[in-house]
Parts: sequence; structure tokens; C-alpha cells
Amino acid sequence: MDTTVEVRALAKRYGRTTVLDRVDLDLGPGVTGLLGPNGAGKTTLLRCLATTLAPDDGGIRALGLDPARREQRTALRRRLGYLPQDPGFYPHFTVFELADYVAILKELTDRAERHREVRRVLAEVDLADRARTRVRKLSGGMKQRLALAQALLADPDLLILDEPTVGLDPEQRMRFRALVSRLGESRTVLLSTHQTEDVAALCERVVVMNGGRVVFEGTPGELAGVAAGQVWISDAPPSGSALFWRTADGRYRTLGENPPGGTPAVPAIEDGYLLLLGAPAEAAA
Amino acid sequence: MSTTWHLPDGLTERYATGRLEPAQVMSVEAHLARCGRCRAAVPYEPEWLAASWERVAGVVDRPAPRLSERVLHRLGVPGHVARLLSATPSLSRAWLAALAAVLAFAVAGARLVPGEENVLLAFLLVAPVLPVAGVAVAYGRHVDPVHETQAATPMSGPRLFLLRAVAVLAVALGLTGGATLLFPGPLGLSAAWLLPALALSLGLLALSGRFSPLLAGAVLATGWFGSALVCHAVLNDRFLPFHPAAQALYGAATLALLPLVYLRRRRLAPGEPRWTRP
Repeated sequence: MDTTVEVRALAKRYGRTTVLDRVDLDLGPGVTGLLGPNGAGKTTLLRCLATTLAPDDGGIRALGLDPARREQRTALRRRLGYLPQDPGFYPHFTVFELADYVAILKELTDRAERHREVRRVLAEVDLADRARTRVRKLSGGMKQRLALAQALLADPDLLILDEPTVGLDPEQRMRFRALVSRLGESRTVLLSTHQTEDVAALCERVVVMNGGRVVFEGTPGELAGVAAGQVWISDAPPSGSALFWRTADGRYRTLGENPPGGTPAVPAIEDGYLLLLGAPAEAAA
Repeated sequence: MSTTWHLPDGLTERYATGRLEPAQVMSVEAHLARCGRCRAAVPYEPEWLAASWERVAGVVDRPAPRLSERVLHRLGVPGHVARLLSATPSLSRAWLAALAAVLAFAVAGARLVPGEENVLLAFLLVAPVLPVAGVAVAYGRHVDPVHETQAATPMSGPRLFLLRAVAVLAVALGLTGGATLLFPGPLGLSAAWLLPALALSLGLLALSGRFSPLLAGAVLATGWFGSALVCHAVLNDRFLPFHPAAQALYGAATLALLPLVYLRRRRLAPGEPRWTRP
């Protein structure tokens, strides 16, 4: 793998809470999914990579640039697209104005070129016909698409997306997957999500974080493989403290020990993820 | 439908190369719709057509500049800079209205009760803090809803902060200066807020490299009002902060802070993460 982003011993603490615990990570071109429960450190890691948060310790090298150096940080920002977890908006701006504003911040000062770029990204996220709508009148999903559009401005080489599919309806999610797959053909895309389906559909690689540490790195198939031989389908619920949940057909899917009458099932990414986290049965249900 | 009038060559050429105003484009296209001869004179390659549609889309989608952007543009500020400034929290309509209301009350009070020293004193004490407050809420994570997004762009940090700070200072000092001219009494006295305002504002900029502007502004404002209270309660002279000796002090502070702010201009980055090299 050609490495475009190197993270070495990255550490971040808030008071006594360790949010990132000496994280090591290598990323290459393509789409990488970042999975993990709330509080795992995903957003903190993405903010460090997006240069909006400085780590307490450790280092990052992205696209050959060191964000600890001011000039290189600015150079990195020129090649970066970032969708924050909580992207704010100016509600009185129109869709076009907000994208135009971010385009100016990305140093697109030539008006004709900038407006062409704004129209391009709005079309990418299917907001071209909302260009003159004020942001305060947009639905949550439309705002999320606008936030994604601004991340695409200036054709970034490194795209960091923090929970980009939140608020998107199924059709928009499909469009988003197609868009990100296409972008990942020539760029490094790192996206965090709670949706294992997004990872299965989109990502060539997946990273699982828990408690501020990387607990898994590999392909989606390898993540599913973590649960190989540990996924069972049965008519009755298992006894004990095994992870299990009732499926749509009224049967029980169990992770771990074979329940009485259980038959093996093909593991999915979600199974491997849950086993890695050791999630309680209630959480899995 | 036929027509006896046809597009002059110059007009056709300017239309084809996209050099016409939108209204002229519409007029030409209205003619082209009913004149085959002129249509034949216009290039119709797919590339030309696509470029032509893009120009039209550009005109249709492009939002009309806001009032603040138009004003700034008339003052010679480039369009993209005007758009950046239009997002400044302390240049919003609500903020400017509040600022104007404060100044209007002060002027009205002074004119309705001529010779009332308390009104003048209140104005002189509050006026230096107005630009400080404006700069304090002009940029940063806690005052700008788009901060996290813009913090990852190359324009963020000192460039954007200083741009906004200069614009806010110009507006606040301009409006307060205008109010000063409407005050009754000698101009020398009613303008005594200016040097402390400059010193406090530059002090805020100088501190912004290390502290958040909100914190620095709060500390400076508290210090200013605290000093005034001491002058009143301990030294028994309410106008002491505006005496010539005090003005000289503010002037000296301004002169000292100006080069300091200039030299540190690349480090004035409120909210910019402080990276330590491993």
C-alpha cells in the first residue's frame, strides 16, 4: 500500500481522560472506514488529521506534510476536504453563498472559477436546484449534503468525513456511496461511521477504535472473519451471557459459544465488530 | 417567423465570446429564436454550447451581493473579501443595530440633558470597550458556528482573524466617531475615548496569540472599568482616566503595541491548535 497518511503514537488527553492512547495508523489511497462506539476517539483522531486539533504527543504526516509546522499545515489544508461531525452553518446565507464562502477560504479567489466549482460540488450532492435557498430552510439531510459539498471544494487529495451519512435518506445514502467510491479511486478518503453497512459497501479497509486505541486494521472481509466460527442461528435464545439478538424471521443470532440447536452462520462485518468490542447482549439487540 | 433586422457582426461576435451583459444575452437569444439567418452565424459546437449554458447558469445561480458586501465593494474591498467579512459575527445586522442603539442613547441623553457629566462619563467609559467587544466575538470556536469547518482551510487563523478584526475596528471606531461629532460640548473632551479604545483594541490583538479573544477582551474590559472605579472611589476624580497624562499613557501604549502586533501578525491565531513537535 502507498502510504499517504502516517499517524505515529498519537496521544490526546482531556484532563484525566485519555481520548487517544498512542495511536499508530497508516492510510493509503482509497476509502478507509473508521468504526467505533461513542467515545472511542474517532472524532478526536479525525480532528487531529484535519489539523483543527493538536495532539498532546505523537506525530502525523499527511500527503508528505507535517501539520506541526505552520507552513506545512497551511499547505496540507490546501489539499484537504473536511466534513466535521457537527458542521455549523450561517442560517441567513443561501446554499450557494455558504459554499462560496468556504471556497474563498480555500483560496479560490477568481470569481468565475470559484462559482464554477461551487456549482460543480452542489450538483455532486444534488443541491443544484437549492442554490438560492437559505440554509435555515434546509432539512437536516440537505444540510448534511451541503456540508459534504463544501468538503469537496477545490478537489482535495485527502478527504476526512466524520459521520457523513447521518441524516441522509436511503436514496441519498446510495448516491453518497457512489460519490465516495468514485472519489476514493484517486484520493485518500477516511470516513467515520456507526453504520457497518456503509463500511461493507464502500471501504477497502476498515479501522476499529475502542477506548482511544486502534483494535483492528484490515479489510471488511477480515473484520467479518474475526467472527468466523462464532456466529450461530438458533430457534431458542442461548443461555448465559452470550451476545445474541432476535432476527426478523423470529430466530436468534448468537455470537460466541454455539447455543443448543444452533447452526453455523456466515459472519458479517457487524459480527466481527461486536465481538471485537465485546459489546453486551443488550447493546447488540 | 422571419425578420428584416439581423444581429450586427460585432454583437454576434461578442455574444459568441460571452462578452455581453445578461440583459443583452437575453435580447440576442430572443432574436435568435426567430431568426434562422442569425442562428446560422452563431457557433453551435457542443463545447461552445456548454460554455454558454455555464455562463447563463452562473448568472442565474449567483446570489445578489448582500447590502454589507455592496457597501464594502463601493469602498474598494474586493468581492471575495467582502463575502468573507459578511460572515463576521460582530458585523451582523443585530450586532450593528445594538452598537448603533447604544451610541444613539448616549447622544440622545447628552442632548436632552446638556451639561450632565454622568452621560458624558458613561459614554467615555463604554466607548473604548465597544471595538474590543466587537473584535472579541469576531472569530473563534465559541462565537462562529462555522469555525470547525473553516479551521481546516488555508485561510483560517491569523489571516481571517486579522481581516475580521480590522473590519470590526473600522466599523466600531467609525460609528463611535460619528456619535462623538453629535455630542454637545468640546470635541476634545467627547473624543477622549479614542486613544484608550486604540490601546485596548491593540492590547486585545496582542493577547490573541496566547489567549482566546473572548477571555482577553473580558480581562481588558474588566481592567478598564476597574481602573475607572479606582479613580472614582479612591482618587476621587471620575475623569482621571481621560486627563492629558492618562491620554499620553494610552498614546504610548498604542505606539508600543502597534509594532508588536505587526511583528506577531502571523502568530495571532485564536483557536489555532498549538502543535508540539515529537
